[in-house]
Amino acid sequence: MSMAKISEDEHFQLLAFLLTSARGCVDEPAIYGPLRLIDAAERLINIIEGKHQRKVVELEEIRELIQKARDYVVTNEEEFIKALDQLTLKISRIIKRDVITFGPTNSQYTKNGK
Amino acid sequence: MDVLEIIKGRRSVRSFSDKAIPKESLYAILEAGIWAPSGSNIQPWEFILVDDPGLIKKVKLVSPGLYGLPKALIVLCFNKKRSEKAGRIGPSLAVMDISMAAQNMMLMAYSLGIGSCPIASFNKIALKELLSIPEEVEPVLMVSLGYPSRWPEPPHRRPIEEVVHLNVYGQNLRR
Ligand SMILES: Cc1cc2nc3c(=O)[nH]c(=O)nc-3n(C[C@H](O)[C@H](O)[C@H](O)COP(=O)(O)O)c2cc1C
Repeated sequence: MSMAKISEDEHFQLLAFLLTSARGCVDEPAIYGPLRLIDAAERLINIIEGKHQRKVVELEEIRELIQKARDYVVTNEEEFIKALDQLTLKISRIIKRDVITFGPTNSQYTKNGK
Repeated sequence: MDVLEIIKGRRSVRSFSDKAIPKESLYAILEAGIWAPSGSNIQPWEFILVDDPGLIKKVKLVSPGLYGLPKALIVLCFNKKRSEKAGRIGPSLAVMDISMAAQNMMLMAYSLGIGSCPIASFNKIALKELLSIPEEVEPVLMVSLGYPSRWPEPPHRRPIEEVVHLNVYGQNLRR
């Protein structure tokens, strides 16, 4: 048997986030459910881009929208829901085209070899 | 800065710079906490300062409401044995006491240019395990601390006229 440190692993971080969010959602306001899901989605974008060692133009657009949506959670529920609609539209467009566009190589990935 | 300026300027900060917080500042923030009022002056609180970067990352793993990577965390807990002295109302008074301590800490932090965020969305079971918190001590709230990479815009506040009732409920306060 071999052993490895796990807490720096991005998939493991997402796993811990999902499990603790699941428990939190039982007691927290209902709108925190979609909030945790878009937070998890942003983490998945990091994982996908890390895998390709590139920023992905379409995913960066989604990230920007997620960040905007997050600001709305406690300030404007209607705008939050609108942003969720835009996010689903964006992801369905990517699915329809089935193509993603890589941005320039990002030093963040090449430097750390992430 | 006058007091109202500090109260109005404090924001929940969710992204932090890499700059370290001086020890004296952390001490001043903690001191502001212990000077909060508490029911019957029971001071049921126990504060856990987490400044080990590796441990902060681990706490973040079990805290869905913790955004950014702060330089320090203060976990505000109450000691059930102490809060029992206040009778059956003890636990709810303890939560009030802790909230006041947290606000003192966050205002002190802001007066020193340090950002903070109160965090209730963390997993208590996991946090107790990670920080070896004994059974009789209950974590209630975390305060994250660090120099902000940006100060957020102030979120909307309900106006005084709507929130405050003059003498009897439903009668508006006019300036
Ligand atoms: C009891 C309490 C719990 C909170 N929990 C969280 C949390 O888990 N995560 C978070 O990002 N903000 C949390 N907040 C911060 C609020 O979202 C924030 O105070 C509110 O939106 C007003 O913004 P301001 O603090 O900048 O004035 C909490 C605030 C309070 C008082």
